Amino acid sequence: MGNIMIGRFVPGKSVVHQLDPRTKIIGTFVFILLMLWANTWSTYLVAAIFVWFTILLTQQPLKMYIDGLKPIFWLLAFTIVLQIFFTGGTPVLLHFGFIKVTLPGVINALFVMFRFVLIILMSTIMTLTTPPTSIANALESLLKPLKSLKVPVAEMALMLSIALRFVPLLMDETQKIMNAQKSRGMSFSTGGPVKRAKAIVPLLIPLFVGALQRALDLANAMEVRGFKDAEHRTKYRILKYKKQDYQAFASLLLFSIIFFSVLYLI
Amino acid sequence: MKQNRAREITLTAIVAAIYAAITLSMMPIAFGPVQLRLSEGLNHLSAFNKRYILALGLGVFIANFLSPTSLGWVDWVFGTLGTVIMTAVTYWLTRRVTNTIIKILISTIVVSTLGMAILAAEFVLAFNLSVHNAFPSGSNGGLVAQWWAYYVTVVPGELASLIVGAVVIFALSKIVDLAK
Repeated sequence: MGNIMIGRFVPGKSVVHQLDPRTKIIGTFVFILLMLWANTWSTYLVAAIFVWFTILLTQQPLKMYIDGLKPIFWLLAFTIVLQIFFTGGTPVLLHFGFIKVTLPGVINALFVMFRFVLIILMSTIMTLTTPPTSIANALESLLKPLKSLKVPVAEMALMLSIALRFVPLLMDETQKIMNAQKSRGMSFSTGGPVKRAKAIVPLLIPLFVGALQRALDLANAMEVRGFKDAEHRTKYRILKYKKQDYQAFASLLLFSIIFFSVLYLI
Repeated sequence: MKQNRAREITLTAIVAAIYAAITLSMMPIAFGPVQLRLSEGLNHLSAFNKRYILALGLGVFIANFLSPTSLGWVDWVFGTLGTVIMTAVTYWLTRRVTNTIIKILISTIVVSTLGMAILAAEFVLAFNLSVHNAFPSGSNGGLVAQWWAYYVTVVPGELASLIVGAVVIFALSKIVDLAK
């Protein structure tokens, strides 16, 4: 197997890396909920300090976080333009034809931008410090209550881990098929959109057929080893909250208290 | 049915993995409002078997999760839910149709109308969702106008992916029995 890096996980020994994946999922989720309340400059400042502090704790270079923001630059720019043009209100700052730029519009746009940058930084912290397989385990554990609603949580988590295992393998295979087709004179990077789209067809079909065969092989292998159902599988890694998780929850609580005091008192 | 559980699980997982692998292999053009995500062509699969509803949902989740270019949590939650809704509708509408071309046609229509409507709503929600009065103006920046702006920008790329996907899935349906 090639060494294609998938996902954003960077191994490390920081405090954030050692947290239980469930703690990180809950923490990110709570942070996002709080951001829905943020409507003053001071609340954004408090949130930014919290994010900054967490980033420092991960001991990863700041560049990785900035790289995480780059791809959404255009979406964010587009959204800011939409907010500026469609908010309305008074006072009007600029006026060309039917387009009005108003002060509330500009403030909305800035808030939307800060909110999104902070939320994405928080999500990046989680994906940089947590391997995808731990996320699958954590989701299974967190979604357990859904079992009473007949949602096959264990089965879905198993599918998720199998799929995660296969992603790098299939990416490798895609590359191999591409090379095989290229050696027969196929080009994937020249010509107009129609020609390029056509080039995809002989790439995807062998990928599919090969992958389906792998799935059937794996199913046989599982059955031969006595797989009955996902419900009764035992686990190699058992999730357990440790001291640092309680500390993390405590700091999250502290942050929430500061956040709401700033929101309602200042 | 019991002895087929393993097969059902691995097939679902592998289709999810294919979706994620294609998304990640052809990355630079796959995210943001103006997107060409070729893997979206796989949405046609849901017209053949209900297993692929879950498979595509998981695939979208993994792709959005692993990709360095997604919108973070909004894509993880709403991208996945949106896919599950539109593929479930496709499955439901096509379950009595036997002609492959009509199946693919219906799925193209559902995904490019309902599916993209949900995606555009996801963007509006992501950027405007807030507790009452969270924005100083108290207004919410022309939600409908924003929704149209996103919708118009996502549809062309999606249609292109669906057309390529249609050719692939049609060819594939001749080789493999997708409904099995």
